[in-house]
Amino acid sequence: MSVWLVIGLIGLGSYLFRISMVLLIDRFELPDRMRTASAFVAPAAFAALAVSGLATQVGGAEALEALPVLGALAAALAAVYVTGKSYLALLVGMPVLWALTAVMAA
Amino acid sequence: MSATTMAGPRLAAHHSDALAGARAMLPWLAGVTPFGLVIGVSAAQADISTFAGWLTGPLIVAGSAQIATIELLHAGAAPLVIVVSALIINLRLVLYSAAMAGYWRRRSRAWRMFAGYLLIDPSFAVGIARYEQPGDRRRADAYYVGGAVLLYATWFAAIAAGALLGAQLPSVLRLELVIPLFLVGEVVPRLRERATRRAALTAAAVAVPATAVPLHLGLIIAIVAGLGAGLTRAEGKR
Repeated sequence: MSVWLVIGLIGLGSYLFRISMVLLIDRFELPDRMRTASAFVAPAAFAALAVSGLATQVGGAEALEALPVLGALAAALAAVYVTGKSYLALLVGMPVLWALTAVMAA
Repeated sequence: MSATTMAGPRLAAHHSDALAGARAMLPWLAGVTPFGLVIGVSAAQADISTFAGWLTGPLIVAGSAQIATIELLHAGAAPLVIVVSALIINLRLVLYSAAMAGYWRRRSRAWRMFAGYLLIDPSFAVGIARYEQPGDRRRADAYYVGGAVLLYATWFAAIAAGALLGAQLPSVLRLELVIPLFLVGEVVPRLRERATRRAALTAAAVAVPATAVPLHLGLIIAIVAGLGAGLTRAEGKR
């Protein structure tokens, strides 16, 4: 199987995944259970993506190396929890990350 | 008022919604662009043609699956293993498709096939946040497409730039943390509702040990665990 065919098959399969439920909804109603579950896809996926991304950064790192990431996470969590404003996670978290990274390097 | 005179304001509204979607996509681009550059660099260094490596962008449009495909092709893995591995990594797209299906059901088949092509983690995140708000669904469609088109254009350009220019990433900025922190911001306000909170916290708790699962399957396991936990809570409440 050539490189082109492999990439083409993966592309085709990925596209079919993308349009699968979007097109099938014409043929049958989504079961109630699936409809209820689909409401949890976003929060579950966001949480899993965030945690796996953060775990990749701190996994296997020394405590001092992990501190800037954990500090940024704590600051982001606190900022969003207190204010309810999502964008503060980045506006607060990234500067805290840079500041702690600079302090650790000093 | 005639349909023609109505079309102008509606078009302008959709235009501004598409721009708003593109603006909402900007935080993602800060994290996605370096990732695209890395994929471009790895494609250029792999034992496949650079164009084939770049083509993973428009065809697969999913960074983790693209990386796995390029690395496994470079390593000379069996084609079937490469195809199955990449598709397993992309299984989450079925869940995203299911979540979007209800919002898109009144659109034409052609539109859904186009919008489906644009479906990936960042476009799903930006789009679903807008769809969950009340209001004209067509304006939310424009918002989703605006964000997704900017994302895809940036993604394809970043892979091409990475392949051409090589790895010169500003690592001191640690932009790889932009996406995790952005997602934290998206999750926290949703934790007020009990079933949603259980879904998110379960997915987060499972995601930590699941990072050790090969083939990026951990992400799927964590999402499914979160769905199960949220569903159990929601059904227990009835």
